[in-house]
Amino acid sequence: MFNYLVRRLFTSILVLFGISVLVFSVIHLVPGDVTMAILGRQKVSEEKVAELRAQLGLNDPLYVQYGRYISNALQGDLGKSIRTNQSVSEAIAEQLPSTFALAISALSVALAIGGILGLFAALRHGTWFDTLVMGISVSGLSIPTFWMGLLLILFFSVRLKLFPSISNGSSFADLFLPALTLGLPEAAVVARMVRASMLDVLNKEYITTARAKGMPERLVILKHALRNALIPVVTFVGLQMAYLLGGATIVETMFARQGIGRLAVQSIYSRDYPMVQGVVLITAAIYVLINTLTDITYVLLNPKIRLK
Amino acid sequence: MTADLSPTPIKSTSPGMRLLKQILRNRSAQFGGILLILLVFFSYAAPLITDKDPNKNKPSVALQAPSLEYPMGTDNVGRDNFTRFLYGGQLSLRIGLTGITLGALIGIALGLISGYFGGWLDSFISWFTDVLMAFPDILLALAIIAILGPGINNAMLAIGIAFVPSFMRLTRSSVLALREMTYIEAAKALGSSDARILVRHILPNSIRTLLVLITLGIGSSILAGAALNFLGLGAEPPTAEWGAMLNAGMKFVRQAWWLTVFPGLGIFLAVLSINLIGDAVSDAVAGTSIVAMQDKK
Repeated sequence: MFNYLVRRLFTSILVLFGISVLVFSVIHLVPGDVTMAILGRQKVSEEKVAELRAQLGLNDPLYVQYGRYISNALQGDLGKSIRTNQSVSEAIAEQLPSTFALAISALSVALAIGGILGLFAALRHGTWFDTLVMGISVSGLSIPTFWMGLLLILFFSVRLKLFPSISNGSSFADLFLPALTLGLPEAAVVARMVRASMLDVLNKEYITTARAKGMPERLVILKHALRNALIPVVTFVGLQMAYLLGGATIVETMFARQGIGRLAVQSIYSRDYPMVQGVVLITAAIYVLINTLTDITYVLLNPKIRLK
Repeated sequence: MTADLSPTPIKSTSPGMRLLKQILRNRSAQFGGILLILLVFFSYAAPLITDKDPNKNKPSVALQAPSLEYPMGTDNVGRDNFTRFLYGGQLSLRIGLTGITLGALIGIALGLISGYFGGWLDSFISWFTDVLMAFPDILLALAIIAILGPGINNAMLAIGIAFVPSFMRLTRSSVLALREMTYIEAAKALGSSDARILVRHILPNSIRTLLVLITLGIGSSILAGAALNFLGLGAEPPTAEWGAMLNAGMKFVRQAWWLTVFPGLGIFLAVLSINLIGDAVSDAVAGTSIVAMQDKK
C-alpha cells in the first residue's frame, strides 16, 4: 500500500515536471520572434522590443529561464500579464472560485440526473424506458456544449424569461443555465455508466442470495446492488473533471461568465502569453492533483487492491 | 438471418468483410449511416442545390425569418443562412476528419514504436503522452493554438495533437499483447525486419481495436473543431463553418433563433450519426461501449 502511494506520487511529479516544461516552452515555440507576435506589426522602437524581451527574461540561456520560471512558479509567482500588468496568479485566484462553482454544480446535475436515469434503465432493463434512456444518452453524447447552452437560453431565457442569459454570480439563478449546459451532456455519460455497472452487479450471486433469503427488493437494490455499482462511478467522477474544466471554457465564454476558461480564451486572443501559460499550468496541475487523489481513493475504497 | 442448411462450400470472406457485414446489420448503424451520407451529400453538393453565394451580403434582406426563398432565414448582413449551412458543413466535416487523421497517424506510429521497441524510448514516449493527457480535453488544443495562432489549419493541427495520446496508448497496449505471439516470433526467426513485422503483422492485427477509437474519434474531432471555431479560434469571418456561424449568431439570439439553431443542429446530427455507427462498430468488435472507450482515454 505504502509502495503504491509512493509510486503513484512519483509518477504525478514526473507528469507535473513535463507539464511545466511544456508550458514553459509555449513562449519559445511561437513561430518567429515572440515579441513581434505580441507587439503585432506596428512600428515599435528598438527599446520597446528590448524592454519586452527583458520583461519576459528572454535574454538568458534556456535552462536559466526554465529554472527561474519553475522556482518562481513554486513560490506562487507566475509572472505578470503583458496586457494589464496584473499578477497572473492573482488573476487566476480571482477567477477560480467561479469556475469551481460551475464545475461542481454541473457535476451535481450530471450525477443526479444521470444516476437516476441510469439506475431505472438498469432496473427496467429491456423495456421501452431502457431504450428511451439509451437513445437520449447517445444524443447527449453527440450534442455540442454550446448548442445545448443555446437551446437552453432560447427556451428559459428568451421564451420563458426565467433565467438570465448572461450570468456572473454563484446564486441559483445565475448558475442554473450554465450548470445545465455543462451538466446535461455529462448526465448522458453518467446514465450509461451507472446502467452498465448496475446491470453487471445485478447478475452477481450475492444479489440472488439476498433475494433468495427473502430480503425486500428495495433493500436488495439500495443496500447491495447500488452500493457496489457506484464504486466504478467514483473513479469516473475524477476523470470527468477534465471534461468539466475543458467545457468550462465554452460555457464561460457563452454566458460571459467569469472563470479561468474564459480568461484562457481571452488571453489567447490578446496574445498575453504569461497569462495563457499560467492558466494552462494551473488547470493541468489541478487536473493531475484530482486524478492522483481519485486513484488513491479508489485503492482505499477497494479492499481487493488495498490488501495486495 | 435465415438458416441455410444445405452443405455449401465455406466461402472465404475476409475478416474485414465479416466485420463490415455485422456493422451494416445493426439498426442504429443503418440510421447513422444514412444520416451521415445525407449530410455529406448536402454539404458537397451545395453548388448544385443552391445558386446563392455563401459570402454575398444583401443588406435589404437582413435578419429575415425562414421562408421559401430563404429556408433557414438570413443573417445580419443578408446572407442566405441555408447556403452558408451547406458550405459550412463541408468545412466542419473536413476539419474534423483532418484532425482525427493527423492524430491517428502520429499516435499509431508512436504507439507501434513505443510498444514494439520498449526500453527508454518506450518510457520517454509514454511519459510524454501522460503529460499531454494531463491537459483537460480542449485545453491542450487551446495551448497549441496559443502557440501557433488562430486559423483553420492550426485548429486542425491542434485537434490532431490532442488526439495523439489516446491513439498512442491504445496502439501500444495492443502491440504489447501481440509482441509475444508465436507468429511474430516466427516472422522474426524468418529474418523479417522490424519495420516489416510492425507494418505487415502487428498493425493489421491491432486495427480491430483501433477501429472503435477511430470511428468515435471522428465524432469527437468534429465536436472539438466546432468548439474551437465557436470560440473564434478557427475560421476567420466571413468563412462559413458551423461553429463559427453559431458564434456569430449568438449576438442575435433574441431576434434570430435560426442563425444559431441550424448550424448547431448540423454539428449535432453529424456527431450523432458517427456515434451511432461507432456504437455498432464497438459492438461488432468486442462488445465495448462508448463509456468503456472513454475510460481508456
